[in-house]
Amino acid sequence: MSEERRIGVYVCHCGGNISDYVDVAQVIGAVEDEPGVVVARAAMFTCSDATQQEIIDDIREQELDGMVVASCSPSLHTETFREVARRAGLNPYEYTQVNIREQCSWAHTDDREGATRKAIRLVRAGIARTRLSAPLEPVTVETVPKTLVVGGGVAGLRAAFGLAEIGLEVFLVEREAELGGQVGNLGAIYPHGNDGRALIARLTRAVGERPNITVFTRAELVEKSGSFGNYQATVRVGGEPGERIQIDVGSIVVATGFDSYEPEAGELGYGIEGVLTLPEFEQLLNQDGALTFNGKPVESIAYVYCVGSRQPGGHEYCSRYCCSTAVHDSLRVAEHSPDVRQYHLHRDMRTYGKNELLYSESRERGSLYIRFADGEPPAVEKLPDGRLRVTVRDLLTEGEELAIESDLLVLVTGMVPRQNEELTGVLKLPVGKDGFFNEIHPKLRPVETVVDGVLIAGACQGPKSASESVTSALAAVSQSAAILKKGSAELDPLVATVDPEKCSWCGTCQEACPYDAIGRLALNGKQVAAVEAAVCKGCGGCVPVCAEEAIDLQGYTDAQVRAMIDGLLQEVAR
Amino acid sequence: MTTLVNSRLVDELGRAHEFNAAACMDCGVCSAVCPLEIELLPRRLFRHVLLGMEERLVEETETIYSCLLCGLCEESCPGGVHITENVRALRHFLNTNAVGGAR
Ligand SMILES: Cc1cc2nc3c(=O)[nH]c(=O)nc-3n(C[C@H](O)[C@H](O)[C@H](O)COP(=O)(O)OP(=O)(O)OC[C@H]3O[C@@H](n4cnc5c(N)ncnc54)[C@H](O)[C@@H]3O)c2cc1C
Ligand code: SF4
Ligand code: SF4
Repeated sequence: MSEERRIGVYVCHCGGNISDYVDVAQVIGAVEDEPGVVVARAAMFTCSDATQQEIIDDIREQELDGMVVASCSPSLHTETFREVARRAGLNPYEYTQVNIREQCSWAHTDDREGATRKAIRLVRAGIARTRLSAPLEPVTVETVPKTLVVGGGVAGLRAAFGLAEIGLEVFLVEREAELGGQVGNLGAIYPHGNDGRALIARLTRAVGERPNITVFTRAELVEKSGSFGNYQATVRVGGEPGERIQIDVGSIVVATGFDSYEPEAGELGYGIEGVLTLPEFEQLLNQDGALTFNGKPVESIAYVYCVGSRQPGGHEYCSRYCCSTAVHDSLRVAEHSPDVRQYHLHRDMRTYGKNELLYSESRERGSLYIRFADGEPPAVEKLPDGRLRVTVRDLLTEGEELAIESDLLVLVTGMVPRQNEELTGVLKLPVGKDGFFNEIHPKLRPVETVVDGVLIAGACQGPKSASESVTSALAAVSQSAAILKKGSAELDPLVATVDPEKCSWCGTCQEACPYDAIGRLALNGKQVAAVEAAVCKGCGGCVPVCAEEAIDLQGYTDAQVRAMIDGLLQEVAR
Repeated sequence: MTTLVNSRLVDELGRAHEFNAAACMDCGVCSAVCPLEIELLPRRLFRHVLLGMEERLVEETETIYSCLLCGLCEESCPGGVHITENVRALRHFLNTNAVGGAR
């Protein structure tokens, strides 16, 4: 068979990146007579438009049926050259990328001859693989135009509405009896002082009016099976044991939010009357008229920032929202009780972006900011008259020890990851070191997870303000649309296949597969293993464990790998 | 020694003399540009006022009066603090309250 192949080999100079240390002409000389090679050429930049066109012309004129590009890393240019093949009418899986830059010229700058010999071996291996390549077609899966949103806070609600607007059917699952999450309990929120409860009421109404959104409250996702674009979700409604509902969905948006940090008893006086967490203080601020606590007017308030955040060995991250929320709260206080004294004890203020203006305004309105050192938190005690005394060393007055007497002490508590083991288990969600869910790439793929079709939105990913949560929710909407709006998705066909003749169903491969891609099938009167192509990631974990050698990985068959090894070992003339 | 913060002082100054140091971010530019190299003025002084450290102001009477009111610091202040106006307010405060009584 190999004699009949017509393979083109292209060796790249990479403008000197390769040719400074690899003798490209020597590589070509060593491989041009390999069986099956009909074209072997060098190029200054193989990825340039001009060279791509030359390759396309070669493929057409020379009727090539295989192609090898020896250049840079496959992660950089595999897709580029697959596309070249497609444009020329060659099956893209008849192409092999060989990396002679990272693996030869960049790695062996001290040894030109050695780098060149290594390049020759690698290119021969690439040719050997291509001699045995076969045309492959992408695995096409039909996708279900429906999405499951888990969590009905501001992020989940906005995602549900957005998904419905682009025409997808939406199921919204909320664990609590009420929708709205944390924002649903808040009064005026920064930056514009909109009422959180009113905002949520508006969103909830909009979601309720959409015929293509089904809301389940007191509900949780308890099971998920199926594959990319076709998940079967089981939702338990109404607590244990409750009713179990089956839903088919194409994607899942996780928007389960965060918890507020709960201080330890005694931490910064927590437990003393008048010492409040930020959420408790927010509730107090929702009262009408002048600020009172336990029926008595409040005359002074002290705030301690970063409680539960930025703590080495504990929650090390900044919770982002709390500086701005506390500063905004102080403006709310100044608004109806201008004579209340307010003291802000901080490690440094992080009212980032436009919220800096809130910080300036609060100072203009008389709030006093006192900065203490990391690791030197203020001390809190109760005075005989019921007020609080907070002692702190102020770095802005050269370490002067100050005492502040106040009616209230607000612990500006941060965000912590929500305990959600059951959901994390069901979806196999990746959890970061900080306990929040992890995206694939913080900049370029900020809402996708390593689980295909499972997206994250809002503060379950890490501390976010309401507007940041909504932004990420809408990113998850467009990412769902990218998966589901076409109605189908194409997956790489580099997956495992089973030869039913050889398979005797021992089940070893099924145990080896980390993705649960292998099932069992009755065929011609016996049981055989069957690979679900849409689930298989092509990792190859099943191949070596099969005693019958019944499993092969398409694109990397045993025969191809053996031929590549032979190619690598072939002598190189000196 | 621990100082009990007394925020009434700045009120008093603010009402009578338009003292306003809220925009001061403690950057130190004012001290750096002062031709007399008066290290104390104005940022530390402002802190003393904000925290209500009245005795400190009295202790610093000499320094408060040695300022030339040249305005170089005010020109350079990134916070836009009206420094010279504030120094005048402090002098007036010392004249009417502390200096006459205490000395
Ligand atoms: C005191 C306080 C004040 C704040 N002030 C402001 C402000 O002024 N401005 C601002 O922009 N931001 C503010 N924030 C931040 C704001 O609350 C968050 O940005 C926002 O709540 C994040 O929305 P979310 O939908 O991601 O999470 P959440 O609001 O936490 O909602 C998550 C939802 O998911 C549900 N859920 C959780 N697990 C499951 C599960 N397994 N199954 C089903 N449902 C589940 C929860 O019950 C909840 O309804 C404040 C936060 C606090 C605590
Ligand atoms: S936002 Fe402010 S209070 Fe919150 S953790 Fe960050 S620095 Fe601390
Ligand atoms: S230059 Fe202005 S902002 Fe900076 S310390 Fe002096 S008074 Fe404050």
